[in-house]
Amino acid sequence: MTATVPARPSPAPARGFDTDRLAVWGLAAAVVVPLLLFVALPLFAILRTSFITPEGDIGLANYAREFASPKFSRIVANSFAVSLTTTAITVVMAYLFAYALKRTAMPFKRTCGAIALLPLYAPSLVQALGILFLFGRNGIVNRTFDLDIDIYGFWGIVIADVLYSFPHAFLILSAALAVGDARLYESARMLGAGSARIFRTITLPSTRFGILSAIFVVFTIVITDFGNPMVIGADYTVLATEIYNQVSGQGRMELGAVIGVVLLVPAAIAVIVERMIMRGNQASITDGSQPLSIGRNARRDRVALAYAAVVCLAIASIVAIVFVASFVTLWPYNMHLSFRHYRFEVQNGIAPLWTSVVVSLMAAVVGVVATVSAACVSRWLKPLHAQALYFMSVLPAAVPGMVLGLGYILVFNDPANPLEFLYGTLAILAICNVYHYHAQGYLIASTSVGQVSRVFDETSTCLGAGMLRTLRSVILPIVAPSIASIAVFYFVRSMVTLSAVIFLVTPATQLAAVSVLLLDDSGNQNQAAAFSVCIMLIVAAALGLFHGLAGLRARRRAQRPAG
Amino acid sequence: MYLSLRGITKSFDGVKALAGVSLDIEEGEFVCFLGPSGCGKTTLLRIIAGLETPDAAEIRFAGRDLTDIPARERNFGIVFQSYSLFPNMTVARNIAYGLECRKWRREDIPGRVISMLALVNLSDQAAKFPHQLSGGQQQRVALARALAPRPAVLLLDEPLSALDAKVREDLRAEIKDLQSRLRITTIMVTHDQHEAMEVADRIVVMDRGRIEQIGRPVELYERPANRFVAGFLGRMNLVRDVHGHALAGIRPEHVELCAGSEAPHERRTGRVSRSVFLGSITRVTLSVDGQDLTLEVQGRRDDLAPGAEIAVRIPARALVRLDDGLP
Repeated sequence: MTATVPARPSPAPARGFDTDRLAVWGLAAAVVVPLLLFVALPLFAILRTSFITPEGDIGLANYAREFASPKFSRIVANSFAVSLTTTAITVVMAYLFAYALKRTAMPFKRTCGAIALLPLYAPSLVQALGILFLFGRNGIVNRTFDLDIDIYGFWGIVIADVLYSFPHAFLILSAALAVGDARLYESARMLGAGSARIFRTITLPSTRFGILSAIFVVFTIVITDFGNPMVIGADYTVLATEIYNQVSGQGRMELGAVIGVVLLVPAAIAVIVERMIMRGNQASITDGSQPLSIGRNARRDRVALAYAAVVCLAIASIVAIVFVASFVTLWPYNMHLSFRHYRFEVQNGIAPLWTSVVVSLMAAVVGVVATVSAACVSRWLKPLHAQALYFMSVLPAAVPGMVLGLGYILVFNDPANPLEFLYGTLAILAICNVYHYHAQGYLIASTSVGQVSRVFDETSTCLGAGMLRTLRSVILPIVAPSIASIAVFYFVRSMVTLSAVIFLVTPATQLAAVSVLLLDDSGNQNQAAAFSVCIMLIVAAALGLFHGLAGLRARRRAQRPAG
Repeated sequence: MYLSLRGITKSFDGVKALAGVSLDIEEGEFVCFLGPSGCGKTTLLRIIAGLETPDAAEIRFAGRDLTDIPARERNFGIVFQSYSLFPNMTVARNIAYGLECRKWRREDIPGRVISMLALVNLSDQAAKFPHQLSGGQQQRVALARALAPRPAVLLLDEPLSALDAKVREDLRAEIKDLQSRLRITTIMVTHDQHEAMEVADRIVVMDRGRIEQIGRPVELYERPANRFVAGFLGRMNLVRDVHGHALAGIRPEHVELCAGSEAPHERRTGRVSRSVFLGSITRVTLSVDGQDLTLEVQGRRDDLAPGAEIAVRIPARALVRLDDGLP
């Protein structure tokens, strides 16, 4: 009965057979094996193919041949020129836009914020399409004013990609500008600092992580973008379109693989640096920070509104023009209302739209299961294993869609592969989308699973629950709302994505976004616009349904009588 | 012995949280682990629950070796500071959860839930969700949920710390009452000496991963083994004993105000430096020979205001010997 009984140390107990450990390992395997199959293996196949010449020699011959050609250096230079220019323009524009919305008292903030996100819900080539309706050879500007503006090439791609990447930069920067420590601003003002000085010495430095993150994210999006350069690039070839030319046009897998590796390097570096920045950016706001309060300043607010209105007009007008062009007889010559472009004269007609819906629903379901399982299993793994799983889960963010798609051909179009039966099915399209966007889905899932206190697990365990029951009865119901948002994310991305699936569609599994590209390619811009409108309407319906249900749920919760 | 712990050792990243703790607990006993934060009391509780794997340990329960038994098979009920009611389930579903996990017969569960709700006086709250209850109500549901599957031991991890003072006192009494009615072996972790003294049959005072003293509240208060225990349970004035080197202590309520009839060598005079009126008592600190001495006297005493010169007596029979030497 005393504390002084000599302790006989016994070795740490060896755990016997435990069903929970079995469940963890089972779940971990169910998460890791598909990641290896659908991410690591395709990447490996790309690397391997890039080192094997058509004659079967192993070595750097493919690289040597590519690097020696002047065309190749031009394409690399093109890619970087477009990406760097677009990144600079987008980040500056998005920063000012986010500043107007978060740090001024201008009106119509919600409307402007919603309009800024529009490009997320359209296929990537819609921006290029809209610009061509305006400034193209047969665009309304050139025809009306009898001008000869040549938008095809560098500037066309830059403008289209600025619009395309704008919402991504805006989301990151508005998150950075939304928080701030009022104490710093008050101290600065008391010390007599002017607005310009405060901006330079406080606002800019405190949002530096957001700015860097936006730079790397936009750079990655632009250098890997395929749709816009395809439509508006003309002879101005970039890496992403060159992969397509080599593989689809000439069947040169090994050269496609070499370019894929070349594209993978900057994209991977950008993503890794971005992740490192975001991981280091944890405690810029402490619990002692005071939230910002923004006072009115008539002149500043007017300038902000004017700027935001111009940006919103640019973004909305592109969508609006595509919409209008799809409903007129012949843009821009005959502007009479017509539905003739909705009789799609393309392979399979309207069917790809429904194929896309089916594939997107499959991707939503599989994507939710994959990313939520990955997030949940991390909870029970040792820190080292959890870190390895995190790395594998966010790795796809660094893999350009074109590269992943090419990897899938190499792996799943190989008769020696037992999984070859997947090739040419809807399933492979859905799987490709799941792993193409795995990083984003996983980050949403792991953030919300991470917010569920571990005390719930411990309580549940002590009450006699196994791990799977805890997962089913406690954790999953708590994170249900964010599971729904992951499903919507996957559905929307799968409806609009083009780059990875372009290599995997077959005549029987044609997708809507691919149809848009094919229609545009065959000179049917108005039909391409009509098809884009159909895609956007379905995306809008899905988002409307999601927000409607979320609102209903919130209201039902609010109606429960208070205790 | 019902629950017997031997040589429990645990380090976190090289920092010792428990340095070979041994302890025996009787069936039906209410034991409190008391100590400052970081003393290892919560870690010890979590090891008993099976939520933490000790580096070295021998844990026996009712003659059975517990070391390899996972938490969910121990059938120990646990209540955490943060209530931890499942937010997606009603009160009734929360209480039924453990019964379902322990494979109770489906038809037995509703009756058990009703009787547990009655036990904690929440019969009318069965259909509510946790966020609709007050903190005190939530913690009573958590208690009912932990007790529902008839656990062999009830483990309470600072169950009252998140509650308001008044609710805390009520629930403290309720827990004690429940425990004596159910005769369930209970271990409660707390850093609050009053809480421990009110509910515990025995208190285990811990500091820096070691047990400093184990005993009934009265024993610990009247015969603390060392300065740490003395200071943690109530207040203790430190005084040099007659030999000048060993340490002794005296509780503030045992220091006597002089009436004037004492022998001069028993009197000590000092000047009041602080005087606090606490309702039933007044706590006075005075400076005697450069050392602080605290005494507590009944009721309100305006005459013992700061600056007043007073004489006190330290009765030798009230002195407590403390093990550790002078600082």
